[in-house]
Amino acid sequence: MNEQNQHLAGVRFWGLLRPIESDLENYSRRMVFDRRDCEDALQNAVLRAFRAFDRYHDSASFRAWMFKILTNEIFAINRKRGRVAEFEVAVEPEEMEEFAGIDFAAETPISWETLADALDEELLAALQKLNNAERAVLLMRAIGDLRYREISECLAIPLGSVMGNLSRARQKMRDAILRARKQSWL
Amino acid sequence: MKCAEARNFVRLYLDSELDAKNSFEVEQHLESCAECAGLFEAEKKFDDRLGRFLRHGQATRALWEKIETQIAPSRSHRVKALWPLALAATLVIAASVIFLTRSRTLDLANAVEECHSAYVHQITAPEFSGPVPEKIAQQFGGRLDAGAFAYRPSEPAFTSSGARLCHVEGVPVALILGRCAETPVSMIVFRKSELDHFPQTKRKLESGDPIACSRSGRYQFAARFIDDHVVCVVGDEPRPVLEDLLRAVRHADG
Repeated sequence: MNEQNQHLAGVRFWGLLRPIESDLENYSRRMVFDRRDCEDALQNAVLRAFRAFDRYHDSASFRAWMFKILTNEIFAINRKRGRVAEFEVAVEPEEMEEFAGIDFAAETPISWETLADALDEELLAALQKLNNAERAVLLMRAIGDLRYREISECLAIPLGSVMGNLSRARQKMRDAILRARKQSWL
Repeated sequence: MKCAEARNFVRLYLDSELDAKNSFEVEQHLESCAECAGLFEAEKKFDDRLGRFLRHGQATRALWEKIETQIAPSRSHRVKALWPLALAATLVIAASVIFLTRSRTLDLANAVEECHSAYVHQITAPEFSGPVPEKIAQQFGGRLDAGAFAYRPSEPAFTSSGARLCHVEGVPVALILGRCAETPVSMIVFRKSELDHFPQTKRKLESGDPIACSRSGRYQFAARFIDDHVVCVVGDEPRPVLEDLLRAVRHADG
């Protein structure tokens, strides 16, 4: 690649990156829970992506591509720190129809007006208690706005596992909200 | 579609993972079943609350500048020489981002994002300040009124640089351009009777939510009814800041 093309690639890379910087930072912060490690993960991921940018294809979502690279860096840092021995993924049914069988109507409805500021503390505690797969899937969906298929490709897990982990993660976060509500009544 | 089937689809529908046929059938069912509509709305509120918690926090500028400096130390010098290309690339990327996020965001938020983006990139400028000029009022075609241009937040942090007439999805709107501190913020005001052009937003506002919020691209969006108008604010500000700004909006005569 000549120097002119390198300049153009650089301009394009930073132009694509800038709109998703806050999402990447929020994702990293909530996956790592340590400021320095979060920054290291972001820096390593951006460097890796920048060097591999000539292999990025327009047909793929740049957002999903960056989340995949960042997730790999986060898992590497977590492994190095001994926080997580391995990436736990429960075996899930592959078909979407299986997921559709979850009875949402049976879940307790939430009255939002009664919730106090203690909610964020409960949510943070619940987020920390999620396993690695549940947390990654939840954050990729909620922060990254990635589609199920993109999350499946990022984490190299079946689509059914994405939906199962997402469902469990949401239920645990919902439970945290309910706990906070009960506390606010006490 | 029956209740049980619709409820089974709640997550896929809210995550925009449902195919067009089933989405349409779910929407039809929700229009006729208040109980299911309430359940979907509760789940949506859970998503909103969780999303607000998880997305809380802006990019740390110092950190990203450090990363950029370490990776491409001479980039800033080169970009100066290539600024026309950078501008073109940014516009192409902005258009791509708008396209990719269009299907997952509130319809009105998508529609007004382009207005605000044009303001931020200095493609759009105010046409007037003060009373609406007669030649502009003549373009209302009976679908807008001068009063739409008289809304302003009572927030001292908001300063307006003027207004202009715009069309969003064919709807004439008052576009009031301003800044909140240093950040560009657009206010879009139009008649409530035009809300049929934005059915998602209409449903949300008429369901009892005092404020409808959404994110479109990098901008946050909030809308509410004030008298016979729909008033929206758009900007690259945290959602709570925009909500407070919107709550502080008053009519000049009010």
